[in-house]
Amino acid sequence: MTGLLREAYRMMRTIRVFEQCVHDASARGELPGAERLHAGDEAAATGVCLHLDERDAIAGTQRGYGHCIAGGVDVKGMMAELYGRRTGSRRGKGGALHIADLARGMLGANGVTGGPTLICGTALAAKQQGTGGVGVAFFGDGASGDGATLEALHLATTWCLPVLFIAESTAWPRRSRGWSVASDSIADRAAAFGMPGEIVDGLDFFAVYEAAGEAIVRARNGGGPTLIEVRRLAIPPGCAHGDCLERFRGTVLDGGGLEESILDRIDGEVAALVAASVAEAKAAPEPASADPEADA
Amino acid sequence: MGEAVAGIVANPASGRDIRRLVAQASVFPTAEKANMVQRLLAAFAASGVQRAVLSSDLGGISASVGQALDRGGRPPEVEFCDAEPLTGTAVDTTNAVRRMVDEGAGVIVCLGGDGTARVAAAACGDVPLLALSTGTNNAFPEMREATVAGLAAGLIASGQIDPDLVTRRMSVLEVVTKARREIALVDVCVSLIRHVGARALWEPASLTELYCTFAEPDGIGLSSIAGQLCPSPRSSADGVALQLGPVGETPYVVQAPIAPGLVVPVGVRGWGVLRPGVRVELAAAGGVIAVDGERELELKNGESAFVELRSEGPWCVDVRATMAEAARRGLLRTTTAAAPGKERRR
Repeated sequence: MTGLLREAYRMMRTIRVFEQCVHDASARGELPGAERLHAGDEAAATGVCLHLDERDAIAGTQRGYGHCIAGGVDVKGMMAELYGRRTGSRRGKGGALHIADLARGMLGANGVTGGPTLICGTALAAKQQGTGGVGVAFFGDGASGDGATLEALHLATTWCLPVLFIAESTAWPRRSRGWSVASDSIADRAAAFGMPGEIVDGLDFFAVYEAAGEAIVRARNGGGPTLIEVRRLAIPPGCAHGDCLERFRGTVLDGGGLEESILDRIDGEVAALVAASVAEAKAAPEPASADPEADA
Repeated sequence: MGEAVAGIVANPASGRDIRRLVAQASVFPTAEKANMVQRLLAAFAASGVQRAVLSSDLGGISASVGQALDRGGRPPEVEFCDAEPLTGTAVDTTNAVRRMVDEGAGVIVCLGGDGTARVAAAACGDVPLLALSTGTNNAFPEMREATVAGLAAGLIASGQIDPDLVTRRMSVLEVVTKARREIALVDVCVSLIRHVGARALWEPASLTELYCTFAEPDGIGLSSIAGQLCPSPRSSADGVALQLGPVGETPYVVQAPIAPGLVVPVGVRGWGVLRPGVRVELAAAGGVIAVDGERELELKNGESAFVELRSEGPWCVDVRATMAEAARRGLLRTTTAAAPGKERRR
């Protein structure tokens, strides 16, 4: 159990520090267009992806750094990709929106609605080949009302595909902002397709981990798709909010499984890793003019 | 009698937890909760409520009700609890209920499951509570049409029916740890699971102790275990206490519906009567304590916890008794000149 807790904390902290680094570099003008942050949703990506193995596939969103890191993409390769270097995960030609590592089943960060439809393909392949693999698609509240997403929910149910649809939802009082979706509850839509839909606290790693674990076992055993709405507050002005990393620390400390010195040591190792990834990225060569055709 | 005020608190998260996945628990969509609020408002209007205080939420219930009212609402006057910042947690329910009490609500209707009713009960003081089911395990709230419940609530809030005649004070279980105090309306259970996590309990092998305010043979949830062994009615001042254990190691095994769709064998070592006012220490160190079926309190190593049955729970509305009293006194009927002869009385 403590090994899992350490791994979870390291993953969440890596996402947080990586994104903070991207934010700072963007503010300095070093990484224009790269500030598509996932900060606050670390528990969602981590709680789901810790259950996955080499049989599985992940499709992220346009805010996909967290999904990529939790999906096992090399942090140094990601940073080099953002800096446009040949050592990047897509050899410096994909950038923030196209970080991917197909060898690890990470289909990549995607545009607003890409993930749910893409993942049905990998899930269908896993089902037909009998690998026991599952597909996980992350998407946001905006994509939840898109026709392609709803078609993906329909397809996954109709073909009983081993898919987890993870809606990263940011609750916000609709009356105060107008609204762009017909229903504030994305989980409600699952019932219309005949699949389980549940809401979990997006700030609670343990809640996400438990729910995703049950859904993945169900999917691997032929039970079909599940929609999990991982909900957290979008931190509107004046609203109280929490932080998944702080909550995790509070839960596991004081006899809860880990010592503070262990967490602090992980903090240090993560900071060193991200700093090294920036230094190595800056020192790496840019793509050569012949590379586009060579890597096609 | 001053202004007739009634409150409605609706939990957007009720009926949405992991039991949709690990069992076949029912789904209660936001749209239906919003419709229930509107049905309650229609009944309030018909029963003399002048002002309704409604909870606000981040799940879309208050938004949908607000849109419907914008399209043309009828009396009563409606006011949303939007002074406090919303958190998306149970704190929103607590804040809304406190506001309703402060606004002089004569009754508070609560839409949710056992968990929502528990939070509302802890905040409503002596204001009568009417809990309607929109949750998962509903040992405490009633499955009842909101229109009828709204009429009963409205008749009490408007002073037409004396709440002393149609409400009953329920017992609660109080759990105290080093840092927290919680109440349970139905049951307190100790689990060996370490974390609150997804909150619901669906693995009976992890359970070690169970305490119930009441135990009905036809109940759902953890209290159903006691309901098949040592039933105790809601009207009893006593509760029940059970020691649980792994099936195969216990003298008794109950096939219990511990959640919708989950009828599982639960091992029971023994049971006894739980008297009011008796403080019992829980052997829960390193595990969690669940209140009304949801893991709520994580206990660190060496931390102690106590449970006590207390008689000072919420005053709950008996809808059937209220409507019977309304019929007896003719509160919802009139006799016109077209009636043949004088009004008949039973």
